[in-house]
Parts: sequence; structure tokens; C-alpha cells
Amino acid sequence: MSAPNSKRGSYFLITPMALVFAIFLVIPLLTIVVVSFWDYDEYRILPDFIFENYSYLLGSSVTWQIYLNTFKYAALTWAFTLGIGFTVAYFLAFHVRSLTWQIILFMVCTIPFWTSNIIRMISWIPFLGRNGLLNQALMGTGIIHEPLEFLLFSDFAVVLADVHLYTLFMVVPIFNSMMRIDRSLIEAARDNGASGWATLRHIIVPLSKPGIAIGSIFVITVVMGDFITVRLMSGGQSASVGLQISNEIGLLQYPAAAASAVVLLITVLLIVTALLRLVDIRKEL
Amino acid sequence: MVRTREKRPTAFYILAAFFALFVLFLYGPMLTIFILSFQGENGGLTFPMNGFSFHWFVNLFQQQAVGDFGGSFLRSLKLGAIVMVVTVVVSFMAGLAFRRRFRGDTFVFYLAIASLIVPSILISLGIGLLFNIFQIQPHWYSSGLGAHLTWTFPFGLLIMFAVFNRFDPSFEEAARDLGASNWQTIRHVVLPMVAPSLIGVAMFSFTLSYDEFARTLMTAGSLNTLPLEIYGMTTNVTTPVLYALGTLTTVFSFVIIGLAFGAVLLLRRRKAIG
Amino acid sequence: MTTEKSKLKSILPGKDVTRRGFLKGAAATAGVAIGSGAITGFPTIWAQNIKNVTLRQFGTGVSNINAVADKVKEDLGFTLQMTALDSDAVAQRAVTQPNSFDIADIEYWICKKVFPAGTLQPMDVAKIKNYDKISPLFITGKLTPDSKIAQGTAPHKVGFVEGPDSTDFASAPTQWMTLIPTIYNADTLGIRPDLIGRPINSWAELLNPEFKGKASILNIPAIGIMDAAMVSEAMGEITYGDKGNMTQEEINKTIALMIEAKRAGQFRAFWKSFDESVNLMASGEVVIQSMWSPAIAAVRSKGIECKYQPLKEGYRAWGGGIGLAKHLSGLELEAAYEYINWYLSGWVGAYLNRQGYYSAAPATAQKFMSDDEWGYWMEGKEAQGDIMSPEGKVMEKAGAVRDGGSYEERMGHVACWNSVMDENKHMVRKWNEFIAA
Repeated sequence: MSAPNSKRGSYFLITPMALVFAIFLVIPLLTIVVVSFWDYDEYRILPDFIFENYSYLLGSSVTWQIYLNTFKYAALTWAFTLGIGFTVAYFLAFHVRSLTWQIILFMVCTIPFWTSNIIRMISWIPFLGRNGLLNQALMGTGIIHEPLEFLLFSDFAVVLADVHLYTLFMVVPIFNSMMRIDRSLIEAARDNGASGWATLRHIIVPLSKPGIAIGSIFVITVVMGDFITVRLMSGGQSASVGLQISNEIGLLQYPAAAASAVVLLITVLLIVTALLRLVDIRKEL
Repeated sequence: MVRTREKRPTAFYILAAFFALFVLFLYGPMLTIFILSFQGENGGLTFPMNGFSFHWFVNLFQQQAVGDFGGSFLRSLKLGAIVMVVTVVVSFMAGLAFRRRFRGDTFVFYLAIASLIVPSILISLGIGLLFNIFQIQPHWYSSGLGAHLTWTFPFGLLIMFAVFNRFDPSFEEAARDLGASNWQTIRHVVLPMVAPSLIGVAMFSFTLSYDEFARTLMTAGSLNTLPLEIYGMTTNVTTPVLYALGTLTTVFSFVIIGLAFGAVLLLRRRKAIG
Repeated sequence: MTTEKSKLKSILPGKDVTRRGFLKGAAATAGVAIGSGAITGFPTIWAQNIKNVTLRQFGTGVSNINAVADKVKEDLGFTLQMTALDSDAVAQRAVTQPNSFDIADIEYWICKKVFPAGTLQPMDVAKIKNYDKISPLFITGKLTPDSKIAQGTAPHKVGFVEGPDSTDFASAPTQWMTLIPTIYNADTLGIRPDLIGRPINSWAELLNPEFKGKASILNIPAIGIMDAAMVSEAMGEITYGDKGNMTQEEINKTIALMIEAKRAGQFRAFWKSFDESVNLMASGEVVIQSMWSPAIAAVRSKGIECKYQPLKEGYRAWGGGIGLAKHLSGLELEAAYEYINWYLSGWVGAYLNRQGYYSAAPATAQKFMSDDEWGYWMEGKEAQGDIMSPEGKVMEKAGAVRDGGSYEERMGHVACWNSVMDENKHMVRKWNEFIAA
């Protein structure tokens, strides 16, 4: 074995990871790009070089509608997960005093994450349905007289499930950033008469930015590509970019799916590049 | 760690209440499926309860009308275990590699980031197409494994970054001064120090793999993993057996977390003693 | 690699069968069960070898029933490994992963897409013992000699090819059959009579504003568009040349009508697999929707009223069948033929009939059903005793009559078969617009 401290050692050590990325990330993505220029009929993909997939995709009003819808889901989910995630992380980092309790409370937040996402998602259905627990409770107490229909199979349900599933992805990096804030800074601020609010605004929020950026990248990319939540929680009534791709895959229209995928990939990369300007991930870990 | 006991500010109580609500939000809906998994024999997927029974738990272990829950569960466990081992080893190696700069390091790093942010369905589609075009048979242990690794490696690598960024190299220098070889230094100094983080990587990668759906969709070949099976069940099952499965897997997760947590505590204690 | 694969093939299902056998109390010890599965019926010279054969079958959950695999093991001795997928995934795998299966259980309208891809081999009818018992619907397209052939991809149109290596569909029956029919049915709307409270007799009711927010339609484009067309035609909005093969203009008009209804909030949800429709109906989210027969039975089994409403415009029918993978040869091919012959010999047919579907060779299924069962399911007669599901649960109490009546009444009133249109690409795009709207 070559010495890990030499450059050759570094190359040796990085090779397995680089290989996996090459075979299962880079080449597949290139394949998608190539196939997006292919033609297809009902049951086959036909090697070709056409722009029809793109011209249909970009020329269709549906595409824009779907993107608008997906951005809406992403924006709403982002706003809610950020708000909730930041508050929770702030509580854990600054108000829970012992490490043991921090770990325990953290675990409490993590455990649901271990149950299948799909099961967690569908667990909302009996809760929110027309005859679900919530409607029954609300009607039982006389607050409403007709069941609330918007609770399930709606945009509300989709965003709710997304927030439910992904808030943790916001909590973890923000918590991580907060734990690295030097406590003496905060004490100094307090000694100089800064209110808790001012400390939060001028010290904690700016110093948590890397965590916020990482969490945001994560939540936004996951929601942009999501198709199961939209399918299950909207009752199949709404569309997202991911769902469109998944439908096209299902219907064997691989080149169309590939073209959609390329456009989605570019969109996501643009968003992430913008967010990465705010933070140098490598330094912030 | 000694801290002075001071009076809690009002903000604490407000935030604590918020946190409690958040936990309720996390667990509330799971409670509904927990309750519904005890539906009577003729009960449906939604309220009202139609009696109370353990029928669906028993049913879970019997043959289903369609699908094979047991097989897919075992498959997911196996796949998760393989992914876990590979991720721990490869991430550790990569973590070591990144401790010094080498040509292409930024490129590999951004590959990892890309791997993290590329929507999962694209990975699935890409690998599916690739295998398709080259007429290779996808299998959960080949294409499926690869797809999962693109998901777990970035996490593993990022955790290793976090670890080595805070790693005090003076221990290694000391070891080397005492005549330890590179391998010995890694084996006896570095490895024990990063062991808890490696357990973290292991837990993380197992969970991510065990629960992975979108990347597995087109890469699993002809045999389903558990999430694929569950997804199939959401469209193929009309009984609370699905909820029984949810309840059981949650309990299973509790057990695993408990064990892992115990292992970390044990390691800590041993380190404290040693 | 090859040995790895075959090992996997033989190990996994073997274990499974052992577990099942154990649970049933049939097999004594785990180790013995794999090798000593009793081989009854169909004794053949190569019975010893065939035990080691594993056939991989995939198809929709509708007919990919584990009980069938168990019975195959029991009757024929070899292992049938079932994978259940949705209709789209089935087509996809049949075309793109030709080596991932041995037997494809697909629908006829998908067959029109799949068979020309060349991943399946036609079957020699000379080797099919009960060929003459197969319902004429699949041979000539006419249930009785004077019936009218319905619109759409009627199964007989894609049921035969010109020769053993051909992928061109034959216009008349030949010796080479693409699929052996397994299961078929006539679909209509399902309703909750208790929540609707008045008679329903037309497809047009699906878009009746009375059911705003309580209607559903299935989101499988090729089938959904058919239901949509039945509705549009019944409303008098559109007249079609052939609902199974619409023109672009007909498609556009149909989708426009559906989008209008969707925007007005007519639909509660869309469903993709029949069980979703069960859940929508049973939970009261939906009171009228396109539905499949066993879904109705499943809702009823929960003690909830649900009716498979016959409508004056007729039924939309569909059918499935099993096809053989191109790569099958030798012993595996023999086993596959053995399986097909067994499939048509009655046991499965009775099983499917009891689920509310129809079986390919009704005459052979009759032998495996009681007179009362046959009377209820096939002849539209009042049930004398309780009607049981294949799993042994009571489905219908004595005195019940099947919605829509007898086999002839139901299958004789098919307005249209599920199909793939020439304008499929356009239709799917428009359908996606509907879903995204």
C-alpha cells in the first residue's frame, strides 16, 4: 500500500469514490443528455438527433404551468421549513443547556425520519380526509359544519407533507452552524446591552447563514425533483416537474423524459449555484 | 461541563412550546397509522375503526395477495448493509485523501455536491437508460447499489470533512515521532478518534439506503426493495396491513437507533476510561 | 454472473415457498420442503428437471396472484416467481428489459405496443390443449356469431401474428397466438348508492355538477381517455368515429371538456391502480368514478354499499394475457407451455371468476366452481347461499344478484375496448395537460 501522505496516496484513496461517481453519476447524466435528442415511438427509443423533444417541451404552455407549480411548492416548502427549522435549531442550540438533552431532543426529531417516507406521507391521509380525524374533531366541536375539503388532495396537502418530511434537513445544518458560533460573542453582545432580538438579528442569523444555505439547497432540490409527494398528496390532480418526468418514464417516452430531465437539471443547478455564492461549503463543514 | 443555573427567560418557554408542537407535528400523523394498524378484520384504511385486533400484524407475516413483503424487507436490509460498509470504507478513504490538496480535488468535491443535488429521479432515469442501451440487466445489487452509493457518498464525505476539519494532527505527528508507520498511525491513532463519526456515517448511509425510493425505481431490476414494495402497496393494498407495516418498521427503527446510540455511548465511555 | 443469477433465482423463491408452506402447516420441516414438493397432475418425463425451473412472471397486481404461484408449485412442481407492477411499468419492462422476465402478463392494448418490439415470441396453438375452449371474443372478436365487434383494440385484432418469427398482427386467426388470454372484464362506473340516493344510468353522470368534488377518473392515459370519451359521447358533446382510435381533433375536444370539469372542481382525485379507487370510494372521498369490478367487491366487503352500475351506453372492456419472452427455449419453454395449459385448465379460471373477472376458457372454469357460484357470477342468477371470495371471505350474502347480470349481458354490451391510438403521442401529451391543468 502506498503511503497516504503522498499525492499518489491521495489519488489511491479517492479512486473508489471517483469511480462510483463516474459510472453512476456522470455517465448516466451524459446518457440522459444524449437520449434527450433521440426520437421515440410507442414502445422504443430510436437513436437520432432531433430537437423535437425540446421544442415541444419549451413550446408547451403546460411546461410553464408545471414549472410554476413546482416553484410554488418549492418556495412554500422552503419558507416553512426555514421558519420552523431555524426556530427548532435555535431552541436546541441556545436554550437547551446540557449536551445530553440536546442529543436526546435531537434524536426525538430524527426518529420519524427512519420510518419510510412513503408511510409517513400516507399517514396524513386518514388524518386529513373528508371523514378524517381532523374534520371529525372540528365538526365534533362545532367549529365547522361541513368537512373541509381543501385539507386533502390539494396543494395544501402537498406542502404540508413536504414540510413534514423535510424540515429535519433544515434543522440539522442550521443547528450545526449555530453550535459553532462562539458563545463569548453572544455574551459580549449581551454585556453591551444588546437585546435578545438584536443578538439574534445581528449575530446569530448572519453566523447561521452557511447552515441556512445548505439546508435551503437541500430542501429546494429535493422538492424540485419530487414526484411521489405530489402524486400521493394531490390525489394525482397536480403536476410537478418530477411527476411529469416520472409519467413520461412510465409511458416509455424516455427521450421526452430525458429532455424534461435536462431542463430540470439546468434549473436546479442554476438555483444551487446562486445559493452557493452565499456559502463555501467546504470551509463551513 | 458546569453551567450556572440561571432563571429561564420567557423566550425559553415560548420556544419550548414551539418545539413541542413541532414534535407533535412529526409524530401526530404517525399516531393515526399506529392506531389504524389495530383495525378490526373488516376495517379499512381510514377511520372509523371497525373493531380492534392484531389481525393485520399477523396478516403481515402471511402471504399477501400480491407482492412479497418479507423478501423485499430482507433485500433492503442486505442492500442497506452493503451500502453501509462500502460508504464507511470509501468515505473514510476519501476523507483521508482530501486532507491534502491534489489535482482534481475540487472537481471530485463538486461531483459529490452534484450527486447530492441532482434530483433522484434523474439518477434513476440515467442509470436505467444506460443499462438499457448497453443491454445490461439491472439488479438491486449492481445498478441499485450504484444508485444508492451516489446518494450516501456525498453525506459520508461531508461528514468526514466536518471531522477532519476539526482533527488535531498533533496526535498523528506524535505517533509518527514514536516511529509508527503510516498504516499504524491510521489504524491506532486516526481510526479510534474518528470511530464515533464513522458510526454516524454507517447509521446515516444505512438509513438513506433503507429508505431510498426514487433512485431505486428504475435500477432495482426485477426484485423490489422495501420502499418500492411499500409504494406498490399504496396502490395495491386496500387493507391496514400497510399501516401494520408502518408501525412495525417504526418500532424496528427505534430498536436500531437504540442500539446505535448505545454503541456510541459505550465507545465514549471506553474512550473516557482509556 | 450467470451462475450467480441462477443461484439467486432458485434460492429466493425457494425460501419463500418454504415459509408459505410452513405457515399453511403443509410442509413439515424447512429443509425438506424445497425438494420434495409433491408433484400432482401433469406428470411428465422431465418432471425431475422441471422442479429446478424457475419462471419469472411479471404483470399487474390484478392477475399476478401469489395463490397462483403456490398452486403452480403444487400442481406442476416448478417455481413461478411473481412481480406485480402497474400497467405502465409492465409495458416498459416488457419492451426494455427483455431478459428480466420469462412470462409477461400484459394487457391486450399494451400488447399492441409491446409485441412489435420483438421481445415476445408467439405461441403455437397446436401445443395449447384447451385452445378450442377459449372464449370466441379472443379468436373472432364475436361473443356470439351475430355480435357486433366493439370499437378499440379488440383482443382478437392483436391476438395473432403471421408466423413464428413475425411481429405483424394477423387479420384472421393463425397458428401463432401473441397472448393467451387470462383475464378480462367489462368496466363501467362505480357508485355509492347510499350517498347518491337516485338511479344513475349514463356515463354522462360522471361530470354532473351534482357530484362536484366527489368524482374521480383513472389516470392511465390510454384507459382514462376512453372513459372520458364514453362520458363526452353520453353528454352529447362529441361524436366519435372510433373511440379506440380518435383523431387529434377528437382528442383535443375531449381533453378540453375534461379540463373544464377539472377547473370547476369536479374531481376529488385521480387514481392509477384499482386499489386506490377502493380507498377513495370506501372513505367517502368519492361517490362516482370509473372503477373495476373487484374494487367494487372490496368496498362491499367493508360493509359499505357500492354498485357497479350498468349504463345505457355500454361497457368499456379490457383484457389481459400472458406472453412468452423471446429468450425462452428448451426446458424453460416447455415449462412455460405446461404453465399455459394449466392456466387454461380451469383452476385459475374459477379463481378469477370468483374475483369478479372473467376467465379465458369459461367452460373449463365451470368444473372448478359450484353451481351456485357459476349461477351468480356467470349466469346473473340470484345467489342461493353466501358467495365467497377466493380467500374464503363472504363477499355477497344469499339472495344477491350480480350488477349487470350474466356474462353474455355484460360482455355482450361492450361499447369499446381499451386501446392504443395512432395518435397516442398526441393523446398522452394532451392527457398530461389535463392532469397538469
